[in-house]
Amino acid sequence: MSITIHSLSKRFGSFTALDRVELEIPKGELVALLGPSGCGKTTLLRIIAGLESADEGNILFDGEDTSARHVRDRNVGFVFQHYALFQHMSVFENIAFGLRVRPRARRPSEEQIRAKVQELLSLVQLEWLAGRYPSQLSGGQRQRIALARALAVEPQVLLLDEPFGALDTKVRKELRRWLRRLHDELHITSVFVTHDQEEALEVADRIVVMNHGRVEQIGSPQQVYDAPATPFVYQFLGHINLFHGRAHSGWVRLGGLRIQAPEYQNTESMPAIAYVRPHDIDLLREPEDSDTTISATVVRVSSLGSLVRLELLQDSDGESTEVEMTRERYAADPLQAGDQVFVKPRYLRVFLNDDPKRTPPVHWNGDGDGI
Amino acid sequence: MPFRLKQRNVLPGFNLAMGYTLLYMCLIVLIPLSAAFIKTAGLSWADFWSIVTAPRVLASYRLTFGASLIAALINTSAGLFIAWVLVRYSFPGKRLIDALVDLPFALPTAVAGIALTALYAGNGWIGSYLALLGIKVAFTPLGIVVALIFISMPFVIRTVQPVLEDLEPEVEEAAACLGATRWQTFRRIILPAIRPALLTGFTLAFARSIGEYGSVIFIAGNLPMVSEITPLLIVTKLEQYDYRGATAIAVVMLVISFLLLLLINLLQRWSHQRYTT
Repeated sequence: MSITIHSLSKRFGSFTALDRVELEIPKGELVALLGPSGCGKTTLLRIIAGLESADEGNILFDGEDTSARHVRDRNVGFVFQHYALFQHMSVFENIAFGLRVRPRARRPSEEQIRAKVQELLSLVQLEWLAGRYPSQLSGGQRQRIALARALAVEPQVLLLDEPFGALDTKVRKELRRWLRRLHDELHITSVFVTHDQEEALEVADRIVVMNHGRVEQIGSPQQVYDAPATPFVYQFLGHINLFHGRAHSGWVRLGGLRIQAPEYQNTESMPAIAYVRPHDIDLLREPEDSDTTISATVVRVSSLGSLVRLELLQDSDGESTEVEMTRERYAADPLQAGDQVFVKPRYLRVFLNDDPKRTPPVHWNGDGDGI
Repeated sequence: MPFRLKQRNVLPGFNLAMGYTLLYMCLIVLIPLSAAFIKTAGLSWADFWSIVTAPRVLASYRLTFGASLIAALINTSAGLFIAWVLVRYSFPGKRLIDALVDLPFALPTAVAGIALTALYAGNGWIGSYLALLGIKVAFTPLGIVVALIFISMPFVIRTVQPVLEDLEPEVEEAAACLGATRWQTFRRIILPAIRPALLTGFTLAFARSIGEYGSVIFIAGNLPMVSEITPLLIVTKLEQYDYRGATAIAVVMLVISFLLLLLINLLQRWSHQRYTT
C-alpha cells in the first residue's frame, strides 16, 4: 500500500511538531524517517498510524483518505521502541492477540490461530519461546516478538518507532540486517523512525531527513550522503568540517581559500559557510598555491581501525579541522603532531549563512571552479 | 532446600532486623490477640459454643461480614472508576479531589457517623428525598453499608492509582493497533495488570469494614437481630462486665477474618503467579 502525505501540520501548544509535510511513500519500500530528537519524526509516524491526529492536511493510503479511520481499522502494524508487549501474556498469546480480538465473524479458528502464530514464530526464528513470558526474554528477542505480533494481523503498512533504540550496539546491528532481509522477503510498505544515521543508511531504500517539523531532503541513502540538499543534512549525516568566510560578487573567500562561485555573482559580501567531509581533504607538505590551500598544524593523530584521523588547527584563525584518511595513505606520509601542513579540500559545498533553503549551494571539486 | 535461619546474604543486619520485626509483631499484634484467646479459654466448650452461636450473635456476624463485603465490592468498582478519572484525565481541581480522597482516613469515625446519620435520617437532606421513594437508609442495614463505604473508600483508590499511573500508554496503543476495541483493551490488557492492586484494595477495605465501630453505631439504630454489628455486641458485653463473653465473640471474629484474609492472599498469589513465573 502506498502512503501519500499531503500538507500535514501538527502543533502541541506553541510548539510546531510538523510543518506542512509533503511525502510520498511508494508501495513496498522501506523508508527511514531520520532526524534529531524533537524533529517531528515520531509524531509523523504516530499520525500515519492514527495514534495522533493532524491539525491540518491528510494522509492517503492507496489514494484513500484515512483521516476518519480509527487506528484499529487502519490495518497498520506498529512496533514500539520499548516493545510494549503484554506482560501478563505468554509470547504465544501476545502474537495471537490481534487475531483473538477480531469480531466473531472474522475470527480464525483455534487451529488457524495456532498455525499462524507458529508461522510467525519461525519467521522471527524464535519458535522455542512460545510459552515464555516477555519478562523472561532479552531485548532483541522482545523486539522480534513485538514485530511478529504486529505482523499477525497482516498489516498493509508496518511502522516502527526507533525499533532498535533500546538495544545494545551489537544486537542493534544484527537486528537491522535481519529487518532488511525480512523486508526483502515480505515487501510490506514500511516506515521506520531513527535518529541513527548509520542505521538509516544501512537499512532504508529511501531516507527522509527531517528537522524542526520539516522535510529537509528525501532521497536514496547515497543521494542524501553525497549530495545533501541543505546545511542541516550535511551536518546531520556524517562528520563535517566548517569553513567560515564571505561570498562576494562571484567569489567565495574562506580563510586563505578563494573559490569561484558564479551562483553568487550578485551577492554582495554575505557570510558563507563551506562544508567539507573529513575524507574529502588532502594534506600537502608544501603550499600548492595560496588560493587553494589553507595552512594548518597537526594537533593529534588517532588510529580508528581502518582509518586514521588527524586533528588540525588552522594557522590563521585557530579553527579546528578534522581529516580522515586510509591507513595506507597515512603510511605513505606519516604526519606527526606539530607538523605544518596545507589543507586542500577535494570537494566542498558553500551555503550562504542567512537562509540556507533559498540560495543554491556551490559545489566545488577542488579545481577552483564551481560545478 | 532445607530451611536455614541464617543465610549468607549481601544485605547486612539480618539478625538485628529480624529480631526487631518479631519483637514488634509480638508486642503490637500477637500478645494482645493471644490475650483474647487466653481469656476465652476460661470458658467451658459448651459455654463458649452457646455464646458464639446465640441467634443474636449469629445475626450480627451475618450483618457485619455481609455489609462489609457489599461495601468493599462497591468501593472496588467505584474506587477503580475514581482512580481511573484521577490518573487519566486532567481537569481543574484535580489535586483538590485527590486530597479529598484521604479525608475519610483522617476524620474521626464518630463525626462521619453523626454526619451521615443527619444526612440520611428521614428528615435529613438526602434522607427526606429517599423517603419519598420509600427508601430508608438511616437506622437500617443499608445505613451500615453507607457508613462502611464512606470509611473504606480510600483503600482501592490508593492501591490502584499508582499501578494505573505506571501502565505504559504504549501497551494500550499496541492493543488498539492490533484491532482491539476499548472494552477489549480494558478487559484483556488493563484489568489483568491492575488486578493484584484491585484485590489488595478490596482486602484492605473489607478488613477495615469488619472492624469498624465508631461510625456504624450512630447510623445503624442498633436493633438486635436487624442492625446490630458484632463489634457493638462485644462492647455491650464489656459494659455488662461479661469479659469472657466479649472475648469469645472477638475470637470468632478474629478467626473468620483471618481465614478470609488468608483466602484472599492465596487468591492474590495465584493470580500473580500466572504471569510472573
